[in-house]
Amino acid sequence: MATIRESGLEALKELKTTEPPVFLAPSPISEVVRVALQYLFTKLKPFNPKSPFDELLVDGFDAEQIWQQLDMQSQPLLSSLRQEVKRFAKNPEEIRNLGNLALKVSNGDDLDGMDMGGFDSDDDDDDLEANESEEEEEESEEEEEEQKEEAEEKEEEEVNDGIEDKFFKIKDLEEFLEEGEAEEYGTDRKNKKGVSKGKKQNLSDDEEKDEDDEDEEEDEEFGAFADDDNEEAEKLGKARYADFFGGKKSETKMTLKDVIEDEDAGNGNHGIEKLSTHEKEQLKLQSKIEQMEKANLDPKHWTMQGEITATKRPTNSALEVDLDFEHNARPAPVITEEVTASLEDLIKSRIIEARFDDVQRAPSLPTNSKREVKELDDNKSKKGLAAVYEDEYVQKANPAFAPATFSDELKKEASVLFKKLCLKLDALSHFHFTPKPVIEEMSIQTNVPAIAMEEVAPVAVSDAAMLAPEEIFSGKGNIKDESELTQDERKRRRAKKKRKFKAESANQPVKKARDTTTENPKTVSEER
Amino acid sequence: MAESTQMEVESVEPPLPIKPTFKPLKAHEMSDGKVQFRKVAVPPNRYTPLKKAWLDIYTPVYDQMKVDIRMNLKSRKVELKTRADTPDVSNLQKSADFVHAFMLGFDIPDAISLLRMDELYVESFEIKDVKTLRGEHLSRAIGRLSGKGGKTKFAIENSTKTRIVIADTRIHILGAFTSIKVARSSLCSLIMGSPAGKVYSKLRSVTARLAE
Repeated sequence: MATIRESGLEALKELKTTEPPVFLAPSPISEVVRVALQYLFTKLKPFNPKSPFDELLVDGFDAEQIWQQLDMQSQPLLSSLRQEVKRFAKNPEEIRNLGNLALKVSNGDDLDGMDMGGFDSDDDDDDLEANESEEEEEESEEEEEEQKEEAEEKEEEEVNDGIEDKFFKIKDLEEFLEEGEAEEYGTDRKNKKGVSKGKKQNLSDDEEKDEDDEDEEEDEEFGAFADDDNEEAEKLGKARYADFFGGKKSETKMTLKDVIEDEDAGNGNHGIEKLSTHEKEQLKLQSKIEQMEKANLDPKHWTMQGEITATKRPTNSALEVDLDFEHNARPAPVITEEVTASLEDLIKSRIIEARFDDVQRAPSLPTNSKREVKELDDNKSKKGLAAVYEDEYVQKANPAFAPATFSDELKKEASVLFKKLCLKLDALSHFHFTPKPVIEEMSIQTNVPAIAMEEVAPVAVSDAAMLAPEEIFSGKGNIKDESELTQDERKRRRAKKKRKFKAESANQPVKKARDTTTENPKTVSEER
Repeated sequence: MAESTQMEVESVEPPLPIKPTFKPLKAHEMSDGKVQFRKVAVPPNRYTPLKKAWLDIYTPVYDQMKVDIRMNLKSRKVELKTRADTPDVSNLQKSADFVHAFMLGFDIPDAISLLRMDELYVESFEIKDVKTLRGEHLSRAIGRLSGKGGKTKFAIENSTKTRIVIADTRIHILGAFTSIKVARSSLCSLIMGSPAGKVYSKLRSVTARLAE
């Protein structure tokens, strides 16, 4: 193993020192490359138990075949690596365990790899490509994270330059404050932060681990990854840097905020370690209030913005929202078996009842009376033509003197018959509704009581003969019955009566009552 | 008169003479005192009816129309002559028409209407004018025109206020102008072959319109 390793390392070293143009043309450098590859392959072998090859077979194989072998090894490796990453993302503690191991291992290798660190090696064209692609595959996931990390690191470095110091590290401060908070408020925040921190730490550690692996496995680097060199150098120098400051990127932003909040919180509660329930509730309310205020300040969701055009909302967002439309048209009825059954029942019942909703012809308006249809007379006219024209002329000129035409005579006869008939019919109803024919004559009208009328059925008497109420009594004003009179009114009436009587009696001399008691019979006889 | 005709715009015109009013010319004066004649031929089939109804003809003509009338037996003509006191020049013509109508076959009371009314005319036409019919068709056409017992003819007469005389193949219609037209059209339709019922219905509608 050591010899292989040494030869492999030597090969790699040699590759590094060669000039790039050498790789472009076929040269004995290929042997060196093969040796290097074999070394790398064997190095990776332990991580890939399923690999069918124990070592990379290079003798007599062309580039394509070598590439295939490498590919076969690298594919399962990649998937396992991904799984590892996921695992670490879930359980950050394991990274620490692994991290130490990795560091130990890497430390051992890095000492050797440091020489190689930062060199650009150029292989033969095919091998170059093979390696490159292999590396790319393995680094596919890590690359993005790396670059992200780089950017964040840069940011953080800028920030940190201002605040951080040899003595003052924000991270330390943060941790301290968090611990204090946890004691005061409970463990909610710490957990949250811890989790987020841990996550990011995981990721960073993962990356770090991957990077270490990468360093361990392949120290070949290219111009594209020149940035990594600096990073790695840094890391290699400060091995523990990433462990403490794993979440370099946004963590810092959060930390600043948190610092402020923590400070405020810290100021608010001096020395009170445990909160009363009321205060806890208050804090919860406050947090809720803050949340709501924040929500209010933020731009509203598009559904809450009133009138929205399609351009102002994300595409296909209307599909996700349950929209309510006013449908003016009645929706088409769903024809189910029940519906048809009900219809059929209705039809049957209607047929049984014979109650059809047939359209009935609207009755035509009553037209004017039919014009006299002049019947065609087939008989020879009795009048001469002259007479005909004469009659016509006379009718036009003097309709009054016109002799009654045939139709007029018929009309007269008809009217006479009808009158007779009407008379008979009216008699049936006792002439109740018939006004008496106006005969101008004097007649004494007696006040026949109505009851008498209705009991017996005299033929030709109608209640029109009864006296009208006005004829019975015509009075004006407020007519009161005897019982309704007040005392004053009675007096008044009596006085009136007396006056009247007096007035009448003034005209006529009052006859004295005959004196039956005779004082002197002689005088009576004398008077005679 | 010449003076009056020369009118100047601004000159004072001499007063025009009163327009004279003339009485209508008598028949006598119209022809400058000459007498006018009318002669109406008498067909042989009307000879006997003329003899029977002579007085009915003579009386209204002589008394009311003031036209002399006589029968020329030799020439078999009825002659009419104006008198001095014939009031109107048309009396003679009217009397002649009246006599002529009688000769055609109209009854006296119908013919008298000619004397009394101005607007009455007599129109005659033949069946062959309408449609060329021969033999049985002709007879049938004549039968159609008259109808059973003459009822079709009477129906036309009564509805249109005309009088119709069907003399073999000749048809004479007496009445007012519009009435004659209607009667003629119905008769023609009968000649052409339409059934009587159709003619009746048409007559009904027409008479209703005429009556308005």
